[in-house]
This record gives sequence, structure tokens and C-alpha cells, in this order.
Amino acid sequence: MMGRTIFIDPGRCIGCQACVSACRECDSHRGKSMIHLDYPDEGHSVASLPTVCMHCEDPVAPCAEVCPADAILVTADGVVQQADTTRCIGCANCVNACPFGVPKIDLQAKLQMKCNLCYDRTAYGLAPMCATVCPTGALFYGTLDELRAERPGVQVADSFTFGTTTVSTGVAMVVPADKVRWPVPGGLPVVEINGRDVR
Amino acid sequence: MTATDPATTPGRPLPLDPSLAPPGTRNFRDAGGIPADRWHADQHGETLVPTHCCFCGVQCGMYLRVDHHGKVFGVEPRNHDINRMRLCPKGINAYQQVNHPDRLTAPLMRRNRDEEFHEVSWEEALDHTVAEIRRVQGQHGNDAFGLLGGASLFSEKTYLVGKFARVALKSRHVDYNGRLCMVSAAGANKLAFGIDRAGNPFSDILLTDCLLIAGSNVGECFPVMTQYLWGARDRGATLIVVDPRETAIARTADVHVALKPGTDSAFFNAVLHVVVAEGLTDEAYLAAHTTGWDEVRKTVADYPPARSAEICGVPEEQIVQVARMFAGADKAMAWHARGVEHHSQGVENCLTIINLCVATGNIGRPGAGYGTITGQGNGQGGREHGQKSDLLPGGRSITNPEHRRQICEIWGIEESELPPAGTSMMEMVWQMQRQEIRGLIGICNNPFVSLPNHATVKDGYDTLEFHAQFDFFLSETAANAHVVFPVTVWAEDEGVMANAEARVVKHNKAQEPPAGVRTDTWVLCELAKRLGAGDKFAFPDSRSVFEELRTASAGTVNDYYGITYERLEETGGIAWPCPSTDHPGTPRLFEDGRTYHPDGRIHLQTVAWHPPMDPYSDEYPLSLTTGRTVAHFLSGNQTRRLGALVEQTPRPWVEVHPSHGFRNGDPVRVVTRRGSEVFPALVTEAIRPDTVFVPYHWPVPTAANALTIDALDPRSKIPEYKVCAARIEAADRVDEVPAPPTAPGHQAYPETQVSRTDPLPPTSPQGRGTAERS
Amino acid sequence: MTEPPQTAEPSPPSGAAPAPGPAPGVTADGGPSPQAPAAVRRRAVLAGTAVSVLLILAIVFGSRLLRDFDSALLPYAVATVFLAFGVAYRYTVWISAPGARRLFRQGWRSFFSAANFRRAPTALPRMIATYLGFQKFLGARSHARWAAHQLLFWGCLLAAAITFPLTWGWFTFTSATGSGPGYEMRIWGFEIIGFDALGFLGWLMFHGLDIAAVLVIAGAAYFLWRRMKDRGAITGQRFAYDLVPLIALVVISVTGLLLTFSSIFLHGGGYQFLAVLHMVSVVFTLIYIPFGKFFHIVQRPAAVGMQLFKYTSRRTGEGEGEVLVCRRCHEPIDTAPYVANLRGTMRDLDLGFDEWAEYCPRCKRVLRGAAYLDHVKKGFK
Repeated sequence: MMGRTIFIDPGRCIGCQACVSACRECDSHRGKSMIHLDYPDEGHSVASLPTVCMHCEDPVAPCAEVCPADAILVTADGVVQQADTTRCIGCANCVNACPFGVPKIDLQAKLQMKCNLCYDRTAYGLAPMCATVCPTGALFYGTLDELRAERPGVQVADSFTFGTTTVSTGVAMVVPADKVRWPVPGGLPVVEINGRDVR
Repeated sequence: MTATDPATTPGRPLPLDPSLAPPGTRNFRDAGGIPADRWHADQHGETLVPTHCCFCGVQCGMYLRVDHHGKVFGVEPRNHDINRMRLCPKGINAYQQVNHPDRLTAPLMRRNRDEEFHEVSWEEALDHTVAEIRRVQGQHGNDAFGLLGGASLFSEKTYLVGKFARVALKSRHVDYNGRLCMVSAAGANKLAFGIDRAGNPFSDILLTDCLLIAGSNVGECFPVMTQYLWGARDRGATLIVVDPRETAIARTADVHVALKPGTDSAFFNAVLHVVVAEGLTDEAYLAAHTTGWDEVRKTVADYPPARSAEICGVPEEQIVQVARMFAGADKAMAWHARGVEHHSQGVENCLTIINLCVATGNIGRPGAGYGTITGQGNGQGGREHGQKSDLLPGGRSITNPEHRRQICEIWGIEESELPPAGTSMMEMVWQMQRQEIRGLIGICNNPFVSLPNHATVKDGYDTLEFHAQFDFFLSETAANAHVVFPVTVWAEDEGVMANAEARVVKHNKAQEPPAGVRTDTWVLCELAKRLGAGDKFAFPDSRSVFEELRTASAGTVNDYYGITYERLEETGGIAWPCPSTDHPGTPRLFEDGRTYHPDGRIHLQTVAWHPPMDPYSDEYPLSLTTGRTVAHFLSGNQTRRLGALVEQTPRPWVEVHPSHGFRNGDPVRVVTRRGSEVFPALVTEAIRPDTVFVPYHWPVPTAANALTIDALDPRSKIPEYKVCAARIEAADRVDEVPAPPTAPGHQAYPETQVSRTDPLPPTSPQGRGTAERS
Repeated sequence: MTEPPQTAEPSPPSGAAPAPGPAPGVTADGGPSPQAPAAVRRRAVLAGTAVSVLLILAIVFGSRLLRDFDSALLPYAVATVFLAFGVAYRYTVWISAPGARRLFRQGWRSFFSAANFRRAPTALPRMIATYLGFQKFLGARSHARWAAHQLLFWGCLLAAAITFPLTWGWFTFTSATGSGPGYEMRIWGFEIIGFDALGFLGWLMFHGLDIAAVLVIAGAAYFLWRRMKDRGAITGQRFAYDLVPLIALVVISVTGLLLTFSSIFLHGGGYQFLAVLHMVSVVFTLIYIPFGKFFHIVQRPAAVGMQLFKYTSRRTGEGEGEVLVCRRCHEPIDTAPYVANLRGTMRDLDLGFDEWAEYCPRCKRVLRGAAYLDHVKKGFK
């Protein structure tokens, strides 16, 4: 299932945003960064979370499914592309449907843009810009075997739960050994907001 | 945050496109040098120039992308073995300085500070400068004119700065901004080992079993070095971090010692106390390779964990835990940075760490050793070849008659002509205030942001009768000068730097400088020519300077003789000492157990802790500590002009613990005995309740260094940046970050300054999250 | 009217590295989704047939029972019938998908709402001018691409406005004097204007297609140049999807211009060959429209529907009443009816996390990050 893809390990992330700057250097969307870097533990710790497109496999690309203009294409190797410029009408369906909060939208240009796993680089055999420069290996590009060669015994998971739905993805996250068979919680159902229980 | 929805402003009709999308998903703005619309990726004939980053002491390899017009336009990761393609946000954006609209492209001059600058020819600027040097020195003696260098210069240029001061200016007053950086470590290294550099290469970190990082926010100041830390942990090493703040590396460390600023030596003495008490010392190593162990053992006996726990504000058990972890490991390693060095006890703090490593026998083995992480790109190389007030090329001492004789022979001058040792950078400022120094040339530094106690610094510089500054952007300091020489950025000249491992790497020239811009080498040589020392400064380029530097360092501890440009290009870097061209260099020191002292032993030094120089009181109960953030570099003259970095971290903040009752973004006044400024509060549990933190990259009125104390370490003369007494109080409004200065008639490149006036603190010390940008 | 495509479907630029073909699941290159259910396909065939029949009838009656029909243009007319079938078929398949269907309904509902019209009578025409006519949004992507696309757009529009009615025999030019110079133009047999073929208006009438060709050549040439030079565009461009439409437009325009050139300067030399070449390229392009990049011509009006829907739902709510804010951070997400519509779409598609749409993307990420810290791992290991 997992070929050459990105592996994300927030535990190694130092939140430096090298990935954010590096993403801007890609020739196909120069000046515009597609990656997200959030500090989910604001006020408590400096923990950080990089988010690239997870390239959902099952259901295949919810962003593409909700697109009213068939603008988001999925390639044979499972890469969910950003919107086709000729078709995208800028409705933001994908922006708000994506369970991982990935797509961005240029409201003036009426155009969605998102991480496409750096097609301009991977086509030449280069790793995506974010994973190439990531100083810590929080973003790693390669096969699972290549990852394990660097970090013996590392385990990854590629399914996430949102409420009752499980989404399996092309991009995987590093998990402890005892959590491999267990879909990673995606944040829904929301149990607390700003310290307040909302169940 | 982008809460306001322009479409719903009351009283205005709904626009046709009431665009609405959640924050963080909308409104792309190019945060780079080139507006996205003007970017065309039709780069046929692009070439990649291998070089290194201009910023910190890690010296990551990178390629600069050069288009077919010969202009640098981008960066591409380079698989150099220091960084293995990794880069930090500063490194990725570094190239944008090269063709930046804010670049100075003509010399600026004015007769007095009340006038505006005007652009003049090189001839006029050089002649005027030399006339002023002659006037000041004629009236007040040669020592009345000073020179301040920088550690971001190539080693060739730092060599020239030292030679220019001694041979062309004939002044004793030369120093450099490395004085504000890692001189404490340098002093400690010299005292203990007789050689001033890290003992081990970065790659040894991967082999260690226990890694101790003291006073270094590696994740932000040396992000790319983090891969070595994580690599060590992947192989089972334990990580100990000593830092008052829970930084990114401290967050996940096995032990995080959140000690009170200014108590490092008490902590490390106590750790050594436990090591001794539990019999974990390596007595055989101590007996064979050290002197002074008995004295050290007696001194640390005065620091039982209970006492130090009280001083440091950490649990007693943690001291014991660190001692067992470090001494119990087969191979342990300690690295430190400014956190322990920027103190009135800076040298001694480093010595306590050296004592710990030596006492446990962790010196000179793969995976076992000690090092300091230099902050500036050439922090290591910049202090080796004579721009430090007391040093001559090759790390020679200016007070050693033999060393003086050797250098005079190489330079072709009489020994009587060689001035004696000068004073340190901060002391020179005090001398400016006292008019002992009346003229100054500054090269590659920005003391208006980087020196402590800004009011004193401003007063000192304002008192100068003549002040010239070399820079490629108009720094805050240059904006206060009489003459500004526009010089090259790193990508427009070639030269070498030595990184934190003392590995000499070569930077290559990627593009021709813009018209009107000259290399620092050219300017210094032209000035020397006009001062009558042209024959000693006949250097057409960096290579010719390097050839002289090599020869000048031959036979010294800092031996560069075997290093040539060709070898550097072939190997990707050689660690000195390298005495001959077939010598592989010396990545790891002390492998044979011998140091560079004549007796070959490590000279252990005793250290007694004393409190910081700025006393706490009821009025000033808190510790103010300062430091860096990942998106900016030193005085920020380079990084505050790069759009992506401004967008990531537009402004400084004050980091406070929630127990003070402030909410995120509240204006908080930080008051010290030297001044007060208002910053937005970043409220976080990741800092000690008795400590506040302000990053220092910004100028007044948002300068941390308007608050810090100009107390110096008696030996290294490093200022005590890392602790002073402070209090905080609620304020009405935060102080706004001023725009970076520019030449008259120019405006700081607006594309890059959009976020600068954001009144809010960043989401986290590393910057604003990508969704918090408007 | 090819609009500048940036990265469409990837293909290895130099035969290197991974070979991603067109996609399963979601549409590959604009062709009908392979998984369109049988019912949808039946409906689409029905719609296609109906539209084609209607067009044939319109041709027959518009040309006054073929009296005005020029049999030399028969291949073109047949191609337009295929075009009509294809477009109707594709359109039906397209709006049968949940996302498009819901937006289609909402768009038309806003369109037909009398209340909307009373409140903002000029909104719709302004939107049409902005999004369909002047395509202001393209300027935000790149000024050069906007300019080139405007050339293509107006060129093609002009050409279509002239040729389609001619082909269908709806326009006729008759001269009372046999061979001019006084002409009158008739539509469906009714005289519209009379003009002098040697006058300015006459020149425009006869050279309208040449003007269109020049506009199209300029626009298409820019895009072709860009597709050879611009790395962003080169990345993942496909010959059939991105280059064929441009080449087709250039061929049509160049052969069209050469026809004029031939008749004026060469006394008809090579005219026959050029006419065939021109006809083949036009027929090919017309048939290609529903299945490739050109389908965006048919789709683009959906942008107006979408915009009108969002606009009217903003208008009906006083102030921010109709704006849905994120349940966690209270930042606006979009209009409430829009989010309700999206949730409906997600439910149609069995995406069981439609409740998630009421959180902004940042909060989704932060909540996921917090869940990871709490339940997966806090630190390094």
C-alpha cells in the first residue's frame, strides 16, 4: 500500500517552519506556501504539527468528491493534485470538507491550491521540498524501508478516525509500537475546546 | 488573526464578491522577494553554485540557483555531509538578500549627524575617511581610532581587519562582535585545553550514549543540528537539556533542567559533587591527563545538591538524576552555547561543564567529548586570525614576545610598530563615551541592536567624531554613521569560514556584485593604500589573502597551512589543525590524550558560583533573559528584511508564565534598571514563573538590549545578556517595531514589511502558525 | 478558450521517474467518469439525444426548411450536432454528481428568486460580466495570462458568433443587385441591416473571422510559449489535455487566415486543400470540446451560480447573521447556507464527518494535533 511517500512525526518537529519557507521555493507555486504549521499546544508547550496533504485513499480524496467542478484530479499513484486551474470555480467546498484542513483558496484568483507532494520535484526523482529540508526528519520522504533504515523499528499508521469514519491515507504518521493497529484519532468527535468539555 | 471580515463593514454595501473563507486558507501573499505575479519560472540555463549558508555556526551546505543573466534567484538543498540537504528557514531565505531592493549600492556620506546622507563616489568616501583618520590620529594619537570587525566575515576578511588595525591604522583598538558571542567558551577552552575549538565533530553526537545540551536552544538557533540530536536518540542516547525555558528540544528531552538564569555553575558543581560522591569519576583518566583535580574536588564538595537545588530553583533529585545519567553513560557528550556563556561568569560556567566531562573521562573519544556551538557563521574562524583585541593570526597572543616577533616578520614591520593589546568591544564603547576613542570604523556588525544597555551604546557612538560603517543593508548602527561603505553579500565573493566543529568550509562566488558595490577586501586595501600601507595590502582577491593567512598560521595551534582552496573544494571541508597539504585535518581533538598545553594535560579550574551582577530586589524581582528566535539572526539587519521571516516572526514579545495573570497579547511593560519597553505577552507554561524572556533581534523601541546590563565577564569580557533583574507591569499599548533603515530616498521593501506592525505576539516562540497570518 | 492551465495531470517531464497515468476514481482528463452509474448514463444519452434533435430542428426551421442552408458547410453542421450531443451528455453526467447537483440547484434557486432580484437587480449581470466576460479572477493569477486569455476568449466568441449561425443557415447575405456592393444581412430570413460591402461595416462583416483569428493566434501563441518555458506549467502538463487544444486553435486560425490570403492574393491557389484542412481542424475541435480542456467553457457559468448563491445568502442575513463561525475559534468559515449545502453534499457522498465542516481548517488541524499529543505520543518516542 505505502510506496514512496511522506512520513510525519510531530514528536520530532521543532516548529522551525523551514518546511513553510521551503514550500515557497517550489517552481510550480513559487512564493506561495502550501504546507501548514500549527502549534496545537499553545500556551502549554512549543509542540508543533506540520500538515501536508494526506492524499486520502479510502474514501478516495474527499476534496475531489465534494468538488462541484471535477477540478481535483487523482493520479494513478494516488497523488491528489491541486485544482485544475481551468475548472476550479473557487467555491471552497474542498477547503471545508477536507478532514485534515489542508486545501487553501485564493479568493481573488478563485482558485484552490494545495500540497501536491511536489510533483515538479518527484517527477525528477527529487524529494518534496519540505521533506528535503526538514532539519529534524519530522517530515521524511521515502519508502517505509528507507525510513526504518534511518530509524530502526519505527512504526507508522495510515488511518485516522473522524467520528465513526475511518480515513486511510497515502501519507503516514509515526506512532508508538503499541498504536500501530489503531487508527490515529483525527480530532473528531471534539471532546474539549479551550479547556471546556463539550461532550 | 484575521477576524475582521471586510465584507461586513457596517454602512458599506455588500461587494459583489463578499469573499469569505476561514482564516489560514485564504489570501495568498507572496512572502518572498519576488511578488508571485512577477515570478516566471522560465529559467533556462540555470546553474547551481555550491556554497554554504551565511548564517549560523553550523554552516549548512546549499546551492544557490543562478539564472542565465548571472543573478542569484533561488536556493536548492545540497547534500553536504554537515547538513545532508537540510536547511532552516533562515538558510532557505538567505538568497533573497542578494538582489534585495534594500541593498546599498553607493557610498553614503555626511559631514555631521544632523544632515541627511547623500550618495557620493567611492573616491570621495575613501578620501574623506582617510582624512578623518589622519585628523583624529594626528590630534589624539593612533589609539584614538578604533576598528570593530565581525564574525560573519570570511576568515580572510577577519585576518585583514586585524592586520589593517595593527599595520595600517597602527591602533591597539581593534575588536569584533564575536566578543558578544562565544568568547567565554574560547577563554575556557584556552584555559583548560590550550586550544580554542570544540573537541568533537557533529558526527560524534550520533555515537554518544548521553547528550547534555546546556544553554542552547538548538531547535531554534541551530535547527539543522537537531538532526544529530535526534539521530543520537534514535540510537538510544539519553538527552539532558539545561535551559530556563522549555524549548523545542527540551520539550521531549529525557531530563529538562529548568534552572534559574545565572546559576549554571552552581548546578554543574553540584552535578560533579554527586558524581564524586557516588564514585562515578574516571580516576585513571584524571590521574593520567589532568592537573588541578584535587582543588576541583574540594570546591565541588561545597555544592551539595540541596544547596544548588535551592540556588538553581530545581528539584534536588534532578541534579542526582543528571549526574547518574551523564556519568553512568559509557560515552557522554556535552555541548553548550550562549545560555551558559553570556554571563559575568561565562568562562567559569564553561569550565564547570569541562570539569564534568573530564572528571567522567569523556574527552577525545568517538561519542565522548565536549564542544561549544558557535552562533555566527564564522564564530570559530573569526576569532582565530587576529581581529580579537588580544590575538594575532594563528591564535597567537599579542602579549607573547615570541608570537609578536613571528607576526612582525610575516607582516614585514618592526616589532616596535606593532601595537599592544586593546580592549573589548563593550569597553571600547565606554572609551568612546570618555573620548579615548574618537573615530571608529565598524565592519559587519550592528552594535545598536547587539550590544547591551543601548542608552550607553548610543551615547558612545554619538560621541564619536567620525564613524564609518561597512554593510550591505543600512543597519541601525550604519544609519547613525558619517560614512557607509556598501559592500558585498556573502554570495558575491569567495572565502572560507570555520564552523562550530572548526571545520573550514569554502563559500563560492555566485554572482557579480551590483554596480557600486565593492568587497570588504577591496575597501580595506584602498584605505590602507591611502594610509601609506599599500605595499602590505596588495590583495587583489580573497585567495591572495588566504595564501598569506595560511602562511601566517603555519606552525601555530590554529594551523591552516595544509588547507588550500582546492582541497576545500575537493573535500567539502577540513578541520584545523592541518599542518601540511597531505594532512587530513583534525576533526576530533585529544585522541592521544594530550592537550595543547606544554605539559599535554588538561588544566582543571575551580569555580565558585556567584550571583548575577544585576541584583534582585523587591522592585526588580524577576530574571530577564534574552535569546534568539528561529526566523531571525543576531541583530536582524539581514533577516528583518526578508518577507518570509518577517511574516513568520514580525515582532518581539515577552514570554511570561501564566501565574502573572496576563493573557496572550496583553501589552506588558518590562522594566529594568536601564530602561523599559512594552511587548505583547506570550503567555506560556514553558518558562519559569520567576523568569521572563525577550528575543533580541529588533532595534529600539523594541530592543531587548535596551534593557540588558553591560556587566562583563572579567576574563572574556562577554556581556551578561542572559540575566538581569526586571519587573513586569501592565501597559496600555505595545511599542511598534520600526521599519529597517534604508538609504535616503528609499523605502524598506514594502512587500516584506506587511506583517511588521502586527501588535500580537507569535503563537509560539518559533513564530506565528501558518493560519495566524493575515 | 483555453485558460492557462497550471498543473493539471502530471506526466514525467522527460520520461523520468514515476509514470502516473490518468486517474481511477475521479475524472482523468475531463472525459465522463467511468463509474457513472447506468441510470445517469441513460439520462445523459437521453439529454444528449434531445438536445441534438432540438438543434437539428432549429437548423431546419432556422434555415427556412434548408432553403438558406449552405450544403458546403454540412460537415460543420454535423459536427455541431455531435457537439450538442456531447455537451449535453457530459453536462448531465457532471451535474448528477452530488457536489455539482446541489450547487446547480442552489445556483438556479438564487437565479430565479424574485426576492433576490428585487434586492440586487444588478448583481447577476455584474457577476456575468466579471466572471464570464472579463474574467477578473484570472488577473489575480497572472496579468499576462489574463491578457492572453482575454484574446483567446473574445477571439473565439467572435468566431463562434459568426460561424455557427452561418453554418446552420441562420444568417444569409443577399444582394439585390446580384454581386454587391449593396448587401443586406438576414437572420432566419428577416432582414436585419443593409450595408455596403466596400464600406467599413462591410469590411468588418467580411473580415470578422480574420480579426478573430489574429486574436486567437496571439493568445494561443503566448500560452504555447509559456508551456515550453514556464516550469510551473511544464510540470505535469499532458499533450492531449494541455497542448492539443492550443495547437488546434492555432491550426484553425492559421488555416482560416490563409484562406483569406489565398482568395485575395493567390486567386484561390491552394484554397481547396486549405479548406479541407480548416474543416478537419474545426470538426475535430468541436467534437473535442466536451471531452477535454474546452469543457471548462461549459462549466465556467457554475462559478456565477456559486457566487450568486453565496452572495444572496450573505445578503439575506443581516450583518453577520448568515455567516457560520467556527465552533472552536469563532472565526468566520462561510455563509451558513453554504456550509449546510456542503454538509448535505458530504452526507450524499457518505462522508461521515460532515459535522467537522463547522470547524475551521486550522481548528481541525489543532484538534488533531492535540489528539495526537494526548492519545498517540507526547514526545519523541
